[in-house]
Amino acid sequence: VISTTFEYSRATSLDDALARLRAANGGGKLVAGGHSLIPLMKLRLSEPGTLIDIARIPGLSGIRETAGGIEIGAGTVHHDVATSALLQQACPMVAEAAAAIGDPQVRNRGTLGGSLAHADPAADYPAVMLALDADIHLMGPTGSRVVKARDFFRGLFTVDLAADEIIVSVQFRPVKCAAYAKLYQRASHFAIVGVAAALDAENGTIRSARIGLTGASSHATRLTDVEEALAGKPLSASSIEEAARLAGASLQDINSDIHASEEYRRAMIPVFAGRALKRALERAA
Amino acid sequence: LSDEAFFEPANNTYPFGCHIAMLEIDRETGETTLLKFVAVDDAGNLINPLIVEGQIHGGLAQGIGQALIEEVVYSDEGQLLTGSFMDYALPRAIDFPHFELEATVTPTPLNPLGAKGVGEAGTLGSTPTVVAAAVDALSEFGVKHIDMMLRPEKLWRIIQGGAS
Repeated sequence: VISTTFEYSRATSLDDALARLRAANGGGKLVAGGHSLIPLMKLRLSEPGTLIDIARIPGLSGIRETAGGIEIGAGTVHHDVATSALLQQACPMVAEAAAAIGDPQVRNRGTLGGSLAHADPAADYPAVMLALDADIHLMGPTGSRVVKARDFFRGLFTVDLAADEIIVSVQFRPVKCAAYAKLYQRASHFAIVGVAAALDAENGTIRSARIGLTGASSHATRLTDVEEALAGKPLSASSIEEAARLAGASLQDINSDIHASEEYRRAMIPVFAGRALKRALERAA
Repeated sequence: LSDEAFFEPANNTYPFGCHIAMLEIDRETGETTLLKFVAVDDAGNLINPLIVEGQIHGGLAQGIGQALIEEVVYSDEGQLLTGSFMDYALPRAIDFPHFELEATVTPTPLNPLGAKGVGEAGTLGSTPTVVAAAVDALSEFGVKHIDMMLRPEKLWRIIQGGAS
């Protein structure tokens, strides 16, 4: 429970953080809230030689309206997302998911960027970013690039982020008609199964739907079967019930652990897909 | 100048009480929600009622936690799988409703204070009370007994028609 020794430094800007990462020559790790990294270091599953603290980089945290929608800085803590008046009004799913993360201690320190970079298979944010079709903005030594959430989560704790890159922010078009529902693991409050559902509806018809699933397999994924079943259907409880039944049926690798068997997890996917969709529908009114 | 005195009660004291739980089980997931918990305990004369209440609160958290969320799990090879609080569910305040406590006062004649023990009153009553509430809720499925703890998957299987 005691980490190996490491150097610690605080970055003053993004460029400074990138320079420090480069100087650490592969042995550096970024830390902000530390709620994923520090436990791993205590278990010695991660032994970085240098920690580069990015928590106080000006401009890295905060929730802003942009021309294309809403931008959340990577350093924004979960509590600030959960209590944001802008998000609660314009895109309540994001605030609702942030409020469902861990406990108050975790929400006061843990950050959006940390959660996405770590990509725990049971983390809440990845499902939400998939449902929002969010753009994840990264910066590296050769400049910045943008990765779609659906291309970002690639495998177990594996994302499209190089060792010398930093997540700067997440940007998305707010969706009012969206909700997040999860089955809590009672110790960690991670998701045994978590579903984020966003509906694009017009004149009582679902034009398209995006549904993100977390907790069930190695990494967060879209439930494309349900999305396709919803497209073009009337915006009604019966469309949703019918489509939610398909949720997860085509998924191959479902997690099984001491908290939930594969069979139970598989059965919970349609339940929580239905709950997320139902609440999204209620927000359409 | 020094003096020593010993008091040896002629017999044990017997505190008693009654606990009642209102428990909700989600039919779709097997998740439990404790809606209401009433504990009436008799510890004789209460010298410090606030301390007694605190002791019972702690006991209830321990006893209800044991019934609903706490479990030590080992692998077949004997490896502890619930080795941290990320996997072992330690009860937290949000896991409980506001406890409703009452006390009846039946002083014991066996000591001059009329006070009885209150150490384990909360733990002893609450665990079987919560499990009994779950058994009652699931009686329509023919359930007469469920082993602790009441993991949602276990209750879900009962609801799905599996063996208890």
